[in-house]
Amino acid sequence: MSAQGTDKPPETIKRQTSKTPLYAAVAIVVVVIIVVAAGFYAGWFNSKSTTSGTTGCAPPSGGSIKGAGSTLVYPLMYQWETVYGGGTAVNYESVGSSAGITDITQKTVDFGASDAPLNSAQRTALPATAVTIPESAGGVVPIYNVPGVPTLNFNGTVLAEIYLGTVSNWNSTAIQTLNPGVTLPNAAISVVYRSDGSGTTFIWTSYLSLESASWESKVGKGTAVVWPVGSGQPKNAGVAGYVQKTPDTIGYVDLNYALNGGIQFGKVLNPAGHYILASVNNTASALKDANPTLPSGTGDWYNVSVLNAPGVGDYPITSLTYVFVYQDLSGAYGSSYTKTQAETLVDYLYWMVTTGQSYSAQLYYVPLPASIVAADETTIGSITFGGSAVPNSCGSSV
Amino acid sequence: MDGPTPSAPISPMPRHSPQWGDRIFAVLVGLGGVAVLVIVFAVMGVLFYQSADSFHAFGWQFLVNTRWDVRHNVYGVVPFVSSTLLTSAIALLIGFPIAIGSAIFLTTQAPRWMRGPIGSVIELLAAIPSVVYGFWGLYVLGPYMRTTVEPALYRYLGWTGAFSGTPTGTDVLTAGVILAIMVIPTIAAISRETLIAVPISQKEAALSLGATNWETTRVAIVPYARSGIFGATILGLGRALGETMAVTMTIGNHDAVPTSFFSQGQTIASLIANELTNSNGPLQYSAIIEAGLILLFISLGVNIAARLMLWKVLRVERGSTE
Repeated sequence: MSAQGTDKPPETIKRQTSKTPLYAAVAIVVVVIIVVAAGFYAGWFNSKSTTSGTTGCAPPSGGSIKGAGSTLVYPLMYQWETVYGGGTAVNYESVGSSAGITDITQKTVDFGASDAPLNSAQRTALPATAVTIPESAGGVVPIYNVPGVPTLNFNGTVLAEIYLGTVSNWNSTAIQTLNPGVTLPNAAISVVYRSDGSGTTFIWTSYLSLESASWESKVGKGTAVVWPVGSGQPKNAGVAGYVQKTPDTIGYVDLNYALNGGIQFGKVLNPAGHYILASVNNTASALKDANPTLPSGTGDWYNVSVLNAPGVGDYPITSLTYVFVYQDLSGAYGSSYTKTQAETLVDYLYWMVTTGQSYSAQLYYVPLPASIVAADETTIGSITFGGSAVPNSCGSSV
Repeated sequence: MDGPTPSAPISPMPRHSPQWGDRIFAVLVGLGGVAVLVIVFAVMGVLFYQSADSFHAFGWQFLVNTRWDVRHNVYGVVPFVSSTLLTSAIALLIGFPIAIGSAIFLTTQAPRWMRGPIGSVIELLAAIPSVVYGFWGLYVLGPYMRTTVEPALYRYLGWTGAFSGTPTGTDVLTAGVILAIMVIPTIAAISRETLIAVPISQKEAALSLGATNWETTRVAIVPYARSGIFGATILGLGRALGETMAVTMTIGNHDAVPTSFFSQGQTIASLIANELTNSNGPLQYSAIIEAGLILLFISLGVNIAARLMLWKVLRVERGSTE
């Protein structure tokens, strides 16, 4: 009965409030307009401050090209597309190496980028012949969160055993032996890896395969593998964030990501017998000393490796990173692909491996050695449109 | 007098226009209905079509293979189905008593002034985006589970084997707890509606027989609303099965069958979120789609069960009023 009595007040309240949505809507619209206007005023929506010039190339204006793939190389790609001028719009999406390969296979981009070269299955899946162009290089470093310890030493065997789960405690003899005098906690190791298909994972697992026979037989190398232990986190940021906030964890991230973010990482034993704390310089020297035999642009790059370079000061976990482009552009993309687009793409590729390399070091990437740049120039020169080579406006200098 | 008046040209107008209006109306709502069917068939069709590669490659093995091996291109769905079911079970185990408790409290015990505000708060819980739950799970709940809850479980219940391994706070247990929090508002809100729908005569009859509050609730109210509460639970389960973001952020994304509550796992939804956009080739892509299809079937089963239960409760209500 009392319930019936209280039935009416809510109705009147409803009638009163029925006007407030209108006011609320007006208020929201006003606020949105103000925010958007402020955003325009502050320049939020100007896509990029195109400080053109400094390129040395004169690509046809108005061209627009699209790339996708590796997250490792994204900061560098972003820098490149920002400084590259000539009215060319370059759009690179950091969707991950595996997705980059998928995108180039499906011809939704002009170039795909990956830290892992194409494997045989991926090569056969391509609808047309593609060329492999190494455009930069970097390192991968072990990061960890063990409260109260200084920079730790690792070697490939121990890292493999940690990732296999056979070394599962921070104070195990395997780790203690590499770090004499360091007080390691009696705590279980939490292994962290990339949950997305990742070129960084490819580099990391390639290194572990090289160093540990049991890793190679049980797990192997790939952009995604069957991890014996651990938890997966997305992208460099996910792995680094999780490791930093969770004690007793170990993970791996790209060197440039760690250096940019001021993340502490461990030293790794190189083949010459020294524990090396990765840097741009010792990764660059590793790249030079590894001196890999490069296949032709259309060849099989899957086993190209610059891991475990022989030099005394070389950092062992180093890798090239690649872009993939169709060799016969008009043949691959069909008639909708314009000559302007082809010229723009070739110009940009040429600029990337030459002038673009000067932007590497400031972002903690490794500039390509001259031998690789020379090979790249040959490869880029082999790209054709409509049956003839695509000229580039950058001139032929290294 | 009225007969011969020339009302003939006037009367068809009001008669015709509502007919046209009705026809347009019927066509419009009919389009809406057809659109829903088209969408459902389009989704199912794409899932079936895109999972064909995987089905042809693995057949029924897909349903029993415990390995998800990208390197050898061999895929099985068991790790994800088991993680999905395990986390959802944990969610119901923890969430159900709390949700039902709050629903019963709100309908029978709480002072009148408290019912509205607490009811609103429960609905507010349902409105929080799942990524916010995930964020909270990752930064607040996960560390708390790691440092406090899981070591205690390990100490006292470790002997059961269900709480073995290293407490990391990023595991199926944490994901289950986050899901429990997420299903509480769904279950509580619908259960509350069902409990409110219990006729006052039920309660009065029990009270007049000298039943206590507890006995009234147990004997007269809850049994009457039982089917509705079951339906609510199934809907909550449906939410837990399909939840993606919060689970991805807390479960550890490990493609293996969980062996304890402290194991890292991967639900079907988190598998799709993690691996679909960067799958390593057409077969992996197809296998992920097939896993999605299986999730659809699991959800479909759950929804059909919920529908049957809700239908039953409606029938009971109608029967009682007659």
